[in-house]
Amino acid sequence: METTTISPTLPTVPVRPLAAVRQHVGQWGLIAALAALPVYYGIHDLVFGYQAGYVAGHQVIHHDLSNLGYNFAQGLSNGAIWALIAIGYTLVYGIIELINFAHGDVFMIGSFTAVGLWGVLGLSPGINPAWLVGGLLLTLIITMIVTGSLNVLIERVAYRPLRSAPKLAALITAVGFSFILQNVGLLWRGGTPQSVPDLIGVQQTVFTIAGVPIQRGYILVFAVMIPLVFALSWFINSTRAGRAMRATAQDPEAARLMGINVNATISLTFLLGGMLAGAAGLVYALYETNVWYFQGFKAGLIAFTAAVMGGIGNVRGAVLGGLIIGVIQALSDARLGPQWTEAVVFGYLIVIMTLRPRGLLGEETREAG
Amino acid sequence: MSAAGDPAPPAAPAPAVLRAERVTKEFGGLVAVEDVSVDLPEHSIVSLIGPNGAGKTTLFNMLTGLYRPTQGRIVLGDRDITRSRPDVITGYGVARTFQNIRLFGAMTAVENVMIGHHSRMRAGLFGSIFRPSWVRREERETQERARDLLAYVGLPSTVFDRLAAQLSYGDQRRVELARALAAEPSVLLLDEPTAGMNPRESAALTAFMRKLRDEKKLTILLIEHDMKVVMGVSERVTVLDHGKKIAEGEPTEVRTDPQVIEAYLGKQA
Amino acid sequence: MSGFLGRLRERRAAAVARLPRWWNRALAGTLIAFGIVLPFFFPADSGFMNGTIIAVAYAVMSLGLNIVVGFAGLLDLGYVAFYALGAYSLGWFGSGFFFKLHVHVLVSPVASTLQGVHLNFVLILIGAAAICAAAGMLIGLPTLRLRGDYIAIVTLAFGEIIGVVAVNGQSVPVGGGMTLTAGNLGISAVDAPYFPGIGSFSLLNLRPWYWLILAILLLVLFVNLRLRDSRLGRAWVALREDEVAAVSMGIPLVKTKLLAYSVGAAFGGMAGAFFGTYYTEVNAGQFAFGFSIFILAMVIIGGLGSIWGALVGGLTLGYINNYLIPDVLNDLPSKFGLHFQLTQVEFGIFGFLLVIMMLLRPQGLIPERRRRLELTAQIAAEDAQLAEAPAGEVTVILPPGEGAA
Repeated sequence: METTTISPTLPTVPVRPLAAVRQHVGQWGLIAALAALPVYYGIHDLVFGYQAGYVAGHQVIHHDLSNLGYNFAQGLSNGAIWALIAIGYTLVYGIIELINFAHGDVFMIGSFTAVGLWGVLGLSPGINPAWLVGGLLLTLIITMIVTGSLNVLIERVAYRPLRSAPKLAALITAVGFSFILQNVGLLWRGGTPQSVPDLIGVQQTVFTIAGVPIQRGYILVFAVMIPLVFALSWFINSTRAGRAMRATAQDPEAARLMGINVNATISLTFLLGGMLAGAAGLVYALYETNVWYFQGFKAGLIAFTAAVMGGIGNVRGAVLGGLIIGVIQALSDARLGPQWTEAVVFGYLIVIMTLRPRGLLGEETREAG
Repeated sequence: MSAAGDPAPPAAPAPAVLRAERVTKEFGGLVAVEDVSVDLPEHSIVSLIGPNGAGKTTLFNMLTGLYRPTQGRIVLGDRDITRSRPDVITGYGVARTFQNIRLFGAMTAVENVMIGHHSRMRAGLFGSIFRPSWVRREERETQERARDLLAYVGLPSTVFDRLAAQLSYGDQRRVELARALAAEPSVLLLDEPTAGMNPRESAALTAFMRKLRDEKKLTILLIEHDMKVVMGVSERVTVLDHGKKIAEGEPTEVRTDPQVIEAYLGKQA
Repeated sequence: MSGFLGRLRERRAAAVARLPRWWNRALAGTLIAFGIVLPFFFPADSGFMNGTIIAVAYAVMSLGLNIVVGFAGLLDLGYVAFYALGAYSLGWFGSGFFFKLHVHVLVSPVASTLQGVHLNFVLILIGAAAICAAAGMLIGLPTLRLRGDYIAIVTLAFGEIIGVVAVNGQSVPVGGGMTLTAGNLGISAVDAPYFPGIGSFSLLNLRPWYWLILAILLLVLFVNLRLRDSRLGRAWVALREDEVAAVSMGIPLVKTKLLAYSVGAAFGGMAGAFFGTYYTEVNAGQFAFGFSIFILAMVIIGGLGSIWGALVGGLTLGYINNYLIPDVLNDLPSKFGLHFQLTQVEFGIFGFLLVIMMLLRPQGLIPERRRRLELTAQIAAEDAQLAEAPAGEVTVILPPGEGAA
């Protein structure tokens, strides 16, 4: 046989239609699934109307979208709290590929700490507003320090020694710590939800947009979340330490070879995640006006779902996921009944995992699908 | 061991038993393999060579079903296997070894080879639980066959029941080979089988490949970097560079092809 | 240090090799005999027997989960779903819950007069196993293309969904005024097991209950041992160790993984059915996420993938959780002047145990003979890019002498 050298000019590779369809079914299928609830109930409200109150013994039926808007407002506010917690999950998973099961319970400790500090600082409804705001800011700072340190401590004690062990070992340790923290909460404040003082009058309507009442609570949540998220984004994108975090998340070995202190970077990640969870804890206590030792477990599952939905490892994804889940929850609570909400949220998680495991904003990874 | 005398002469116009037809593989924006066609004539030994990153293992992975070609076809005999699952392709008679040895470390050498025989066994869930006599016979025969194969590839019998992770590198390579042979393939794909071997061992493996082709009637495609092995055993050599086929032919021709030399060494000054 | 341990291991292996061939069988026979006569050392209603029965039932669950997580390496965090389905199988087919129906098969004379569906316990066991096997496949289906952590999340989600359905099933009608479950109130007045010639079990005499669950345990052990040393068992371990290599060797991914889920689920269902009848009620509060972790801890602390490890882990944790802490040690803190009972810190103790085990002995009490080694972690990392490694880089230097052709 003769030697043949082949060098044709290659025509541009046409995209195989079936492959393209499969790729986009995942993304659009997910978006359609997510939009299903709001779209359905929006149309339902417009066509069939909803009961907006009683006037002189008769039901008042409205045919507009303000009920839906109310659901959205509720949902986005709740979702913003989940977003703060979800960021912690997504940062930790992005850097060491571990689901920090204890993170939700760190959030719970944050709530408990915050409420405890209110007592210490003498914060109660009706005191001088300047004193209240100052006290809350102080509470925020101290709580964030406490939860941040707690998260760093857990990493140091439980995860670092197992970094070269199979992933399952660290996961189990995380669950173990989750249980320990829950028990701490149980002993601290008992087994039933405890109501706490409504320091800011969280349900008072401040103003109304298109028939949707905007409560103080909503403003509080976003007033805390937006600056924190921006600060974190700035930190990750513009500082050396933030770059170290991104590098370590991409390739720990290369980062180490470049002279980055990987251990310190990981601890920093846990610190930041923990601080955000603490902030979420304070906001939660103000917003819900009650705390419960089990709130961390529930919030943790929801927040992790949000992180996965948005794309694990991606901070913007975590925020987006949190907001979306919050809206889904609000819609489910209001329209299907709160007893089904958990099943709805987890149903969505399974849908995401089936249609688009990398989440809305995540990058494709071989493992996840 | 049969009493085969001379090795069968390479059959030039033999029908191709495994064929890649104009296959392309893209990963996102990266084109790993571009419009490559390779065919393996029956009972031949073909080498696939090329510098690092040329796309050789990617091509292997497409031939065995681990990757699906972005374009093009893979044909086994008269069967289009482009979209077939890897385990199904193994069932059709294509077996492989891996560049970085991928033995099941927590299993013994014998168990590893028995796994290779999986597609030829029939015991299912209830067969495994109740162990009727045909299952027991199947297990016994599979074990015997595994031990025979390990002896055939030259593994000392003292390490047959040692955990694969505890074997020496050379022994691990042997076990991988035996495991691939346990699938009773008609086509054997070897990914850098002589990596990490000294010249004496490479020569022994080269002779062994010829023995395999003759005794077990195999068709062999190998990825290799050791030119002595390539020249010594191949009837045909295909050269890839940057995902494209740049040369193909008999070993002596390819060795002197200027494009091939340039690909490996860079442009001559 | 490793030299010393290595020599110890060699001496032990040599000693084991010198044992006569009937040793294993004799040992097994003795243990089984001991297990059978155990109840006679205790009063018929003793607290210890109660703890033992529950511990053995947990061991059955542990053996089931060991197939999914240990053999096949599929991290299932929603195993409570099969406990629930098994228990509800009993609640549906062994009580007056479906009061509009009148079905009786091989039940006690008393039960055959009652409304509802009343099947013999053995039939319910089989039914529970079948229902859970099917459910296991359904739950496993979405996880097939996912890797470790994601499998954990999806299975966890399923477990939670089943929990929610259990609670809300009291408002889900299934026709004729009957509902799917009885929510948190629970399906009570479930049948006790009945065998013609022996009669109905009663909670005053725990011995028959013990022998029943012991029989189930022996059955599950038998199946486990058979599967481990079979074509299917090897396929599971191969998939766990290296999915890519396993598939390249001809192991069908989907079928093999689904079988793991199914078989594991079936065992969980059988134990669940037993729990349902032993606790005399099936209520939604029994099915929380913590249970899944509890069973997982048994498997891990016992030794992931090891049959005897799962057994020991199940018995140990079952005893600690249901006998040691509530019955024996509950007042321990008050002896130190602390104002709580031990059951209140059960969770925390349990969590602490998990952390300590993972830090000190992650391979478990009785490690699997086929131990998962660092090798697999390396391969998993290489899997991330199934591309060519730079050639010419000799990955391992050949040891002198050995392996020369």
